[in-house]
Amino acid sequence: MSTPGLDRRSLMLGAAVSVPALSLGPAHAEDYPSRPITIINPFPPGGAADVVARPFAAVVEPIIRQPMVIETKAGAAGAVGAQVAASAKPDGYTLLMHLVSISGFAEVDRLFGRKPKFTRDDFVPVARLIADPCVLIVNDQQPYKTLQEFVDDARKRPNELLFSSSGLYGALHLPMALFMKAAGLQIRHLPTNGGGPALTALVGNNAQALVSSIAAASGQMKAGKARALASFGATRAPAWPDVPTMKELGYDLEYYLWVGLFAPKGTPEPIVTKLRDVTRQAAASDAFRQAMTNLGQDVAYQDQPEFRTFWDADARHIEDAVRSIGKVEG
Amino acid sequence: MRLKRDTVAGGAFVGLGAALWASSGDLPVGSLAMPGAGMVPMIAIGLVMVLGGVLLVRGTAGPSLSADHWSDADHAIRVVVATAIATALYTRLGFLITVPLLLFGLVGLVERRNIVAAAAFSIGVTAVAWLLFAMLLKTPLPPVPWS
Amino acid sequence: MDSTLDSLLLGFSVALQPDVLLYAFVGCLVGTLVGMLPGIGPLAGISILLPATFGLDATKAIVMLAGIYYGSQYGGSTTSILMRIPGEAASVMTCIDGYAMTQKGRGGAALCIAAVGSFVAGTFGVIMLTLVAPPLGAFALRFGPPEFTALLVLGLVFLAYMSSTSLVRTLLMASVGLLLGMVGIDVMTGHFRWAFDIPELGDGIGIVPVAVGLFGLGEILSTPSRSVTTKVVSPRLRDLLPSRTEWREAAAPIARGSVLGFIIGIVPGSAHIISSFLSYALERRLAKNPEDFGRGAVAGVAGPESANNAASTGAFVPMLALGLPTGPVTAVLMAALLIHGIPPGPQLVTEHPQVFWGFVASMYVGNLMLLALNLPLVGLFVSVLRIPYAYLYPLIVMFCILGVYEVNHSIVDVWIMLIMGVAGYLLRKFDFDPAPLVLGLVIAPILEMSLRQSLVMSNGHWSIFVQRPIAAALLGLCAALLVLSALSILRRRRDWRTKLAAEEAGDAA
Repeated sequence: MSTPGLDRRSLMLGAAVSVPALSLGPAHAEDYPSRPITIINPFPPGGAADVVARPFAAVVEPIIRQPMVIETKAGAAGAVGAQVAASAKPDGYTLLMHLVSISGFAEVDRLFGRKPKFTRDDFVPVARLIADPCVLIVNDQQPYKTLQEFVDDARKRPNELLFSSSGLYGALHLPMALFMKAAGLQIRHLPTNGGGPALTALVGNNAQALVSSIAAASGQMKAGKARALASFGATRAPAWPDVPTMKELGYDLEYYLWVGLFAPKGTPEPIVTKLRDVTRQAAASDAFRQAMTNLGQDVAYQDQPEFRTFWDADARHIEDAVRSIGKVEG
Repeated sequence: MRLKRDTVAGGAFVGLGAALWASSGDLPVGSLAMPGAGMVPMIAIGLVMVLGGVLLVRGTAGPSLSADHWSDADHAIRVVVATAIATALYTRLGFLITVPLLLFGLVGLVERRNIVAAAAFSIGVTAVAWLLFAMLLKTPLPPVPWS
Repeated sequence: MDSTLDSLLLGFSVALQPDVLLYAFVGCLVGTLVGMLPGIGPLAGISILLPATFGLDATKAIVMLAGIYYGSQYGGSTTSILMRIPGEAASVMTCIDGYAMTQKGRGGAALCIAAVGSFVAGTFGVIMLTLVAPPLGAFALRFGPPEFTALLVLGLVFLAYMSSTSLVRTLLMASVGLLLGMVGIDVMTGHFRWAFDIPELGDGIGIVPVAVGLFGLGEILSTPSRSVTTKVVSPRLRDLLPSRTEWREAAAPIARGSVLGFIIGIVPGSAHIISSFLSYALERRLAKNPEDFGRGAVAGVAGPESANNAASTGAFVPMLALGLPTGPVTAVLMAALLIHGIPPGPQLVTEHPQVFWGFVASMYVGNLMLLALNLPLVGLFVSVLRIPYAYLYPLIVMFCILGVYEVNHSIVDVWIMLIMGVAGYLLRKFDFDPAPLVLGLVIAPILEMSLRQSLVMSNGHWSIFVQRPIAAALLGLCAALLVLSALSILRRRRDWRTKLAAEEAGDAA
């Protein structure tokens, strides 16, 4: 494997040499998969789930000796794809690659008195693949050098500072809501229609603060257009050792933009086991690791039991955040 | 009295506005300083109804609705029905079954061309399109369900 | 200046490597083919083909994607002109006069003018990008929600010039477009508006299925096959090329379209879509015979096509100078860079000069390649129309379904297209023009969002629109235009609507 890219042929060759024969699950799952597996990408091409799913599929294909097809079903901030996956036949041939925001949809529906189209219970977690801690950044024209200065000023002028987000109840709105609740702040919300526009609003100084993933913001941070005040990780990010974590600063907050693989509820246990095996191998492969490094990410693999615990705790925070945002009137 | 063209059109738009107005009762309008989810939709409904009303009133002086204007309607309906059937089947039966049926239906049945030519055309076009997309561009078209 | 030249030379040394050149060519070719599918414009084109570039290295991938981007734009104008099927919202205006030219037997000429206009505009855009990207990037950042709102209002003021139908009909169609644009989840409050429990409607009604339905399918429905007499036009070279008069009529609109489009293109957001609408309206405003528009006016093809291409080049300014994905297309391109380990950001130029300047240089090359690819093919494209209509239109219907479905893999979109096709047929029977409807649909969601964002920024004070200089200037321009047109209506001088009305009365009598 000479190129660090995603050359399928070299991957295939490498896999044929290095991957040992699979230990197969119980009898009736033995021939799984016997046809191509579809992974639903609920975001636009090139979006957060897509850039993980593609290299993942490229690594998995030689292991399972079946094609893994990525099908884009974008819409309604990821709700359309999730719903398609939730109602798919639970036979292991339709899977879902989704983000942290999968936990919030049902709560938003409840908030509006709508019957949720799907809940977390409609999915079986298979594995978490990456988890990028978020950072709170401010525009460089703002005077704040530390989180404390920002908090003090925001407290002095309630409802006068602005933060942008990728959209109401979106993946970049929720961590800010958690932080505002923890610090007792009131900051006005400027929703936009995506991570890019949210970052543009911050860099253009139309909003003063934004919680963004490190990967998306690092370019602007390096250029000095945005200043990171705190990260939502458990430990400091290796690339940004000077940015303190929220925990160090006294806020018990953790928030990651994680990406995980899900199967519809009712998928037979042996098939899920096999999927977990395959995912473990894929996540450990050099090719996948390299692809994630390219994205500015580290593989943060968690197998089903750990992932389930993590997801349950994470979802509670997110439901909290949705409720603390509440229904926006006006 | 013969129906006037603009009266019918204006009436239809006023009706459309009224129907949407009725089905959007729970949208908060908000205030001018902070427009709510319902503000712009209400403005749009208002515009449609007012302009439709103008058309309705002024239509009495306009041209009337004549039957010969609609001579192509039967052809249009046939094409719409064929397309609707194809749309309903597209994701259920997949590209490889639906598309030849659609093409054959339109060329062979709607246009009444030579059956053999129509069949050859349908199958040929489907095969070429399939090869182009599935093989060359590597973008999956809806598959046949039992593949 | 010298350093720019050096950098550009570095870029060309990358872009002219045989294998990079090959990928640029493949990108242009594939893009042209895919772009010819109804509904598949630049955005859908690069989205669909993005995975195909994952295996390449960064430079080749971005060069190929840029080729796909340009190519699908060219391809989209081809179907707009020949079959009245817009590849995307921006080519709606090309459909109108381009198709009218085809019906007059000038389809080849329209294609040539579109190709040359796109080439000129694209090259102009890249030159500007090379020379003044950094200051322009800083300017682009000053366009926040209030400025964006003002720009869209300006677009609405031009609306009156878009259609040949009466003002009431034009405004009515635009209002219906506004209504359709309101469907979906409200970005600011999360309310569902008229989504009728269909999750796919959460993001609103897509512009692509509406445009393809209203124009493409609507045209097919109102053309019963028995009335089509296939004219076997002998495709002599002379008939395919624009005449000297046509060239003369196209020159100024191409120049104006290039400048206008580029300026609108650098504004962050989705404003580039309205560049072709604005250009069409501007040309009509300036034309000696505005009543020719809609009946095959050369300027009605040349202006919007150039504006469209210049705008898409302009959209690269904030992406390359600031590292910000300001629009949907640049977001996909930046994801492609990211996948190859090149983090987007203002440092792109200094950290990866090979990629940056290779990309810029390949845009020069790509534009030239497309011109060389498309001009010889004009004859071939025009002869597609010689397929008997009974075989041609089923083919178009099939490609409409395929293209619209592929954009989002959403069958709901295909249903919307079909419904809009029926609507297009009915609207035509009742003498309505669907173009203002599409403009309304394009503008409605972004205007509403930027307006409400502005009010969030000002905490409810409308004065924000006059306090920010750019917004105030744009709104002042709107006011001046409204006063001017009010004056000209009052004076009834050179009013093309009255001329048109007089002609129609003459026809009826």
